[in-house]
Amino acid sequence: MTLRLGRQEFADDRTLMMAIVNRTPDSFYDKGATWAEDKAFDRVAQVVDEGAEMVDIGGIKAAPGEEIDEVEEKRRVVDFVARVRAAYPSLVVSVDTWRASVGEAVCQAGADVLNDAWGGADPGLVDVAAKHDVALICTHTGGAVPRTRPYRVEYDDVVRSAIDDTVAYAERALAAGVARESLVIDPAHDFGKNTFHSLEITRRLDEMVATGWPVLVSLSNKDFVGESLDLPVGERLTGTLAATAVCALAGARIYRVHEVVETRQVVDMVNTIAGRRLPARAIRGLQ
Amino acid sequence: MLVPGALALLPEHASLTDPLTDLRAAAVAAVRWLGPEAEVVGDAQGERVAAALMDAAGVRRGGAAAYLVVGNGSAKRSEKAPGHLDERSFGFDDALRDALVAGDLAGMDWSLADDLWASVDGLRRAVDLIGGPATVDYDDDPYGVQYWVMRWGS
Repeated sequence: MTLRLGRQEFADDRTLMMAIVNRTPDSFYDKGATWAEDKAFDRVAQVVDEGAEMVDIGGIKAAPGEEIDEVEEKRRVVDFVARVRAAYPSLVVSVDTWRASVGEAVCQAGADVLNDAWGGADPGLVDVAAKHDVALICTHTGGAVPRTRPYRVEYDDVVRSAIDDTVAYAERALAAGVARESLVIDPAHDFGKNTFHSLEITRRLDEMVATGWPVLVSLSNKDFVGESLDLPVGERLTGTLAATAVCALAGARIYRVHEVVETRQVVDMVNTIAGRRLPARAIRGLQ
Repeated sequence: MLVPGALALLPEHASLTDPLTDLRAAAVAAVRWLGPEAEVVGDAQGERVAAALMDAAGVRRGGAAAYLVVGNGSAKRSEKAPGHLDERSFGFDDALRDALVAGDLAGMDWSLADDLWASVDGLRRAVDLIGGPATVDYDDDPYGVQYWVMRWGS
């Protein structure tokens, strides 16, 4: 299905790099490297230069920590979204928020996508997406409350749960008036999941792709990679790329990433192997 | 007319960026010049390349008024060439070019063709079909293989 993300449309065979841009002082990977607005703006310039089609701007780290109310969240992201929108008219601007009030403000500032990483915690977010005709990322958290860690969470079948919940969320958004071609599902690795859950989601991602909804994966440097390889944040790129390759082979469409160039190469290579993408330029043995 | 049998011209070998943009454009234009129908003269691989170019040009197989000959010079014209560098390639290809441009292959010495990986089956079978001076649309060796697109007659 052709994907429409706010102002931009993407054909079926396109895969997209969604680069993470944190407006936080405490996110797990960059530890506040782009907390200063100009640093965040430099990060946008860098990922655009690296070929990212999308940026995902977030004002609150996912893990528990200092309470960030909606006033502070807006202060962190709304003006920044407007600045990025003005500077990069064709860049897809996504905002990572679960709050409808923040969604409303960033849509007015020019956002194209609302990335609801907490799986519909605020029921009003779908109405905001519908009102502004922007895209919505429907994630699976297993019912987790925003900014909580999983604790002894169990599923009968984590993949079934991820499919059922994200598809139900997408259909709820559809009923609220969000365009079908603007809905994306995300199993949300590590959100409401232990490492075994995230590994199973990765291994069986083709079942999510088979729903027909475009699938986003957010794998970058996460704990399931770290626990699989016993590596700290900062040493998880290779493991991240291995998980990326598995998801690419299954047919994921959007990749939420810290490292754009490396991920793009892996996704392109896998899709070329899978016969979904032509080689860039093949002449060896064919002269 | 003559086109080379480069397998990169086949649609199943398409790339995002065509490595043979100029050759393909010249070849398709020349095949289109043949008219609605043409017969093919070439080896088995050359037949497939011809079919692809005819598809692209909208030319049907048949008739006896026009011939599409598939062949090319040596494949040993540089160190990166498929057959590595063989200095004899240059003399062989020069002689073949002169004969093709003159439209007279009767006196061509083919003895080095196999050694130099030149694809000449179609050319040898077309000796009696080619006549008169050629119009040369393409003459280059971008990957160490000598390609020509040439047309004879009006």
